[in-house]
Amino acid sequence: MKTETSGLPNVITDYATGQKINLLDWKAANLRYSWLLAFFVTLLLAAIGYLLALAIDPGAALFFIIIAVAIAGVQNTIAYWFSDQFALRAARARAANTEEHRYLVNVTEAVAIGAGVPAPKIYVIDSPAPNAFATGRNPQNSAIAVSTGLMELLDRQELEGVVAHEMSHIKNYDILFMSLLAATIGAILLLRDLLLRSTRYGYGRRGHRRGGDSKGGGQGQAIAMVLLIVLLVFAPILATLLRLAVSRRREFLADATGAYITRNPEGLARALEKLKNYQGEKLQVSEGVQHMFFTNPVKGLNASNLLATHPPLEERINRLRRM
Amino acid sequence: MFWIFLIILAAIAVFAVSIYNRIQVLENRYQNAWSQIDVQLKRRNDLVPNLVETVKGYASHEKEVFAKVAESRERMMQAGSVAESAEAANVMTAALRSVFAIAENYPELKANENFRVLQEELSSIENKIAYSRQFFNDSVLQYNNAIETLPGVLLAGPMGKEEQIFLEVPETEKQAPQVSFS
Repeated sequence: MKTETSGLPNVITDYATGQKINLLDWKAANLRYSWLLAFFVTLLLAAIGYLLALAIDPGAALFFIIIAVAIAGVQNTIAYWFSDQFALRAARARAANTEEHRYLVNVTEAVAIGAGVPAPKIYVIDSPAPNAFATGRNPQNSAIAVSTGLMELLDRQELEGVVAHEMSHIKNYDILFMSLLAATIGAILLLRDLLLRSTRYGYGRRGHRRGGDSKGGGQGQAIAMVLLIVLLVFAPILATLLRLAVSRRREFLADATGAYITRNPEGLARALEKLKNYQGEKLQVSEGVQHMFFTNPVKGLNASNLLATHPPLEERINRLRRM
Repeated sequence: MFWIFLIILAAIAVFAVSIYNRIQVLENRYQNAWSQIDVQLKRRNDLVPNLVETVKGYASHEKEVFAKVAESRERMMQAGSVAESAEAANVMTAALRSVFAIAENYPELKANENFRVLQEELSSIENKIAYSRQFFNDSVLQYNNAIETLPGVLLAGPMGKEEQIFLEVPETEKQAPQVSFS
């Protein structure tokens, strides 16, 4: 049984590029990427488990791999069910209060109606830095967080534009993929730091024992250890490249869909313009979740930077203005 | 030969069922979209007496405006069909606008906390009505396309499906900006 939550047409035209965007394809691609990512993480952790076994106790390789796959399973499950909680906590967001944030609640509910999705849970980030993000696993379990700075900076139409952009991420399951990606990068970074620390500690210990007789197979262990470290150093880079491949295009798509939902590209364009001219402080967020935000929160990161998760603001504004 | 005939027949049946379901899904969608509008219209109707009471406290002599609001509210409650409700809703929108217009002349009223909350609520309900109307029209467009083009058109007749009308956007709302509340 096919369940359709959306009432928007499945195909919208991006007037800037003349491209037809099939929203169903976009959603399907996200689901596919999410499975691929979960598979990739499992494989990676299995490889790490195997190398760790070679480095420590080659006899227990199977045991290590089973443990690693189990950890991957747990990690993916947690990412699926709870990453929204982690993301909201990482951004220090708190649940919006209808009395206090009536305006934001009303704007979000209106845009949700226009997008044909259930209204997401609404969160507020107490920060003068203007930014917003969406998280969750599907439109039924989703949340939008908006900073107080953004609410103050933008007027109603502009805020609607930004909320509609975030709503597109929800509607098209970008949030699912982004959540899994954030958890993956987080887990890899954690593993890398743990291992780098423990090897440093390990080498120190070995230094003390230098006088004692060394065991056989030490060379194989050393090679496995080096491979392990190489893998853990390169995995985050690989994950970052993956993130680049998908997240820049996603922002353009969400801009186009957001403009379509509000029927008002100018609102979103003006919001982006205000953000471009904004000179104040930026949000302090960890490396793992920066791709989730409306504009890139990392300080000093040039938009033309190769590793930027977001396309340059001027480019986004131009595309909206041509709609 | 008989088997080929049977297979073709089965394929046609599967195809027909999928078209049938598609039309049914789209019909449910636009009907659901209408109920979204209806919810907002009812909420607005519930808030109106509250607004009238508040405004009366400061501008009791603006009888004409109150009469207009009361009349459109009455009309709203009696409306049966989608078209009637939509028409009455537009009248109500215009009436509420004149209430907010006269409020401009009463600084004390504008400063009233209750009034401010009502104004924000009502203008955002209007906003939601606009969004749900847009959503409804999107849904109706898809439905109409499905029953008027091949292959849906072949089944639409036997299923008794007819073209649905779009909700018109009242002239006053075409100048886009919503009431902003500061």
